[in-house]
Amino acid sequence: MPIDTVKSVVREQLDVMQLREQFPVLAREVHGKPLVYFDNAATVQRPLAVIDAMDDFYRRYNANVHRGVHQLSVEASEAFEDSRRAVARLLNASSDREIVFTRGTTEAINLVANSFARPRLQPGDEILITHMEHHANIVPWQMLCEQTGAVLKVAPINRSGELLIDELAGMIGERTRLIGVVHVSNALGTVNPVAEICRLARAFDVPVLVDGAQATPHERIDVQALGCDFYCLSAHKMYGPTGIGALWARESILETMPPWQGGGEMIQWVSFEGTTYNDIPHRFEAGTPNIAGAIGLGAAIQWLEEIGVERMKAHEQKLLELATARMEQIDGLTIIGRAAEKGPVISFTLDGVHPNDLGTIIDHHGVALRTGHHCAMPVMQFFGVPATARISFAAYNLHSEIDVFLHGLEQARAMLV
Amino acid sequence: MALAKLYQGIILEHNRQPRNRKRLASATHRARGHDASCGDDLLIELAVIDGRVREAAFSGQACAVTQAAASMLTEWLQGRPVDEVGSGLERFRVLLENPAAEPDEELGELNQLRPVGAFPARRRNALLPWKTALRALQDPGTAAS
Repeated sequence: MPIDTVKSVVREQLDVMQLREQFPVLAREVHGKPLVYFDNAATVQRPLAVIDAMDDFYRRYNANVHRGVHQLSVEASEAFEDSRRAVARLLNASSDREIVFTRGTTEAINLVANSFARPRLQPGDEILITHMEHHANIVPWQMLCEQTGAVLKVAPINRSGELLIDELAGMIGERTRLIGVVHVSNALGTVNPVAEICRLARAFDVPVLVDGAQATPHERIDVQALGCDFYCLSAHKMYGPTGIGALWARESILETMPPWQGGGEMIQWVSFEGTTYNDIPHRFEAGTPNIAGAIGLGAAIQWLEEIGVERMKAHEQKLLELATARMEQIDGLTIIGRAAEKGPVISFTLDGVHPNDLGTIIDHHGVALRTGHHCAMPVMQFFGVPATARISFAAYNLHSEIDVFLHGLEQARAMLV
Repeated sequence: MALAKLYQGIILEHNRQPRNRKRLASATHRARGHDASCGDDLLIELAVIDGRVREAAFSGQACAVTQAAASMLTEWLQGRPVDEVGSGLERFRVLLENPAAEPDEELGELNQLRPVGAFPARRRNALLPWKTALRALQDPGTAAS
């Protein structure tokens, strides 16, 4: 290989040690052991860039947005709207008018359910989701169906945890009013063929909502290329703060949607005789928003752009590959979710060791992992397990941390079995 | 070390060889205890005659702590007057929330679950069988389920 090529390959690779220095929490110990943080699908850690951006807002220009003519309010409003532009850029939206700030993915889905879907639903109409959805993309639709007489349909998955796309295609019909699909499953890791689903839906003119909570930290997202109509994200899954997220929707769709919550900011003119509403996207942002959160999200996006999602993904996929291969060697360990294309998530069970006990024991090796149903109880029911343990990687995880985890796994088994 | 105390001796022994882990055909009271976030799914069955628990059993899937707690509780319940179960739960809660507390003689072997108190995230597991038993007694209608 020519020297120049070697140099460029090295440059292409992620410098994980340098990256780790940007995450203060990674330096701490848990029960006297270095922290191994493998619960990234629940929430990822924040880099200094995000912590500092939020700190800077509170220290230097804290003010309400879109409310005042004074300098601090102007600066806060600019930073807030800069973040909206950053989200638009991240998703390749046509315009920042298509970005609505929400508390997270859950609120974004609830917004679509209540403002978009509710007025369009008649008894007997159908909402189509998949068997691998997070509760956030099940329960809002269930509630809506109970209230409107619409019917919730569920497209099946196979034993590998992959969506049966042909079955889904067969379920789209004249009564389908919306399809909700998770981009990357938090419980199984499965990456769904969202573009293909959108293509199938287009033939019936059915809008598609994508739950992107687990996708944004690991995948480059292009809503126009995907062909979806709604895309939902949470900042805290993508190195940003909790309590903030966003809904992307096509401008032409957002324009047709009535306000969801009433209050300040979402209005143009209020009198006791009636109120005229603000333009999109502000029409959907009642009340003082999570300004620091939005600024933190903007900083997270800028940070992701600087590090490079593709480079992070390459590193995470190596971790996934390595951990999967090592875990396959362990007797009595079953990986739940064997899709051909996966995000960096491994759900598993270990014979004789309940996930809860594993979680407690391995915590004493400094390893943070998630146990339980991962807010996807229908997935657990499908695989006939009450719960699983789950490890999930971020860009700052190390190969050596997999060794610590596997050692903890053996220790847990030695203790219990 | 707290962890070694949790996963040793009597707790592990009850987990490996749980007492009264069976279905109870003669049950007059039944309730299902479900801790969705941990994946514990427990069925407590009680045969109550003349105001006393004559027999108690549990079944289902649960972690080591819940299973040991259910095993010890079903032992403790045998012959116990029904109206002592609620106060038993309160005494047990005190025990869990005060790891330094002296053993409570009334609770017998259940005192062995005190190490769980050092794991706040796991107390709910030790409490689940209690809460389920109490619910079965308070709502005998669930016996039909």
